[in-house]
Amino acid sequence: MSETTVWIVVIGLTCVTVATRSAFLVLGKRYTLPDRLQHALRYAPVCALVALITPELALAGGSLDLSLSNPKLVAGIGAAMVMVATRNMIAAMAVGMLAFTAMRLLAG
Amino acid sequence: MTPERVFGRDAAVARRRRAAFMRGLQAVAPALIPTGAWGLVTGVAMLQAGLTTVQALGMTLLVYAGSAQLAALPLLAGSAPLSVILLTAAVVNLRFVIFSAALQPYFGHFPVMRRALIGYFATDVGFAMFLSRYGDAPPAERGGEGQLWFFVGMASGIWFAWQSMSVLGIVLAAQVPGTWGLDFAAILGLIAMTIPMIAGRPAVVGAVTAGIVAVLAAGLPLKLGLAAAVVGGIAAAMATELLLERRRGTP
Repeated sequence: MSETTVWIVVIGLTCVTVATRSAFLVLGKRYTLPDRLQHALRYAPVCALVALITPELALAGGSLDLSLSNPKLVAGIGAAMVMVATRNMIAAMAVGMLAFTAMRLLAG
Repeated sequence: MTPERVFGRDAAVARRRRAAFMRGLQAVAPALIPTGAWGLVTGVAMLQAGLTTVQALGMTLLVYAGSAQLAALPLLAGSAPLSVILLTAAVVNLRFVIFSAALQPYFGHFPVMRRALIGYFATDVGFAMFLSRYGDAPPAERGGEGQLWFFVGMASGIWFAWQSMSVLGIVLAAQVPGTWGLDFAAILGLIAMTIPMIAGRPAVVGAVTAGIVAVLAAGLPLKLGLAAAVVGGIAAAMATELLLERRRGTP
């Protein structure tokens, strides 16, 4: 890839960020969403975050792996359970990393 | 930059603004761990995809959208057409259109440049934190100065954590071995951050639906699965809410 190509892509991606993140805000009050829809959008952040997470846990090399030998799935569920039980972020991440590392080492 | 130039000359106003700014910074503090980890991973990934240090610095400072960057990098390295790279990034970023629609009732009345800036800094984490704090604010109380400065404080924390760790990743790319599992630490951080936000039955149903759709639709072209998961999750959460309301007999 040439120097110019990279910079064109960088500028293009910057425009994409601005266009998507600011779309509705820049339009201002001209287009107001119905109350019901605005209320529904409160669920957007949770859905987006979960949707970023689950493919990382359940897909191994692009194919579905829901077995107990999938280190990411087991460690991810473990971390989630620790978080539900303790609400302690550091503990959840530590348990998850330990489980992940242990399973990878055991699998050789 | 002096505090006076940031918060204004009037002492009483400045004190209020600074207090709101600090509240935002405090609220976002725990989320800075996964944010920083993601930034580091993205920084390393840019160099591994073949960008030079200067190109990677330019990308992180301008684009400021980790998921879009991570989606675009393999395409860029594989010499995909510009249209495919930009379209993929736009689809990965579709969730931000939904976010900015949700922020519009709060910030829609500010001058246009300020609105555009607020949008640029409304990342996943920032948006999630803002709505979990002010999502229930009655319409009349939306978009006050306290909320604006809360957002600015939060967004500053996220920007600094992301950019500093991303730059660190760019500088240290050669020294960070893939075997450390840093990318997985970032995922664990996201999990820990997301769990407390899943409160109430509609949110649980929405989260489970979004999670399943994201996995099943992961193979869709242009990374459409992410947008499909967000829309599906919101729809499922709303359907649950309506069902619960009907069962209680309230309109």
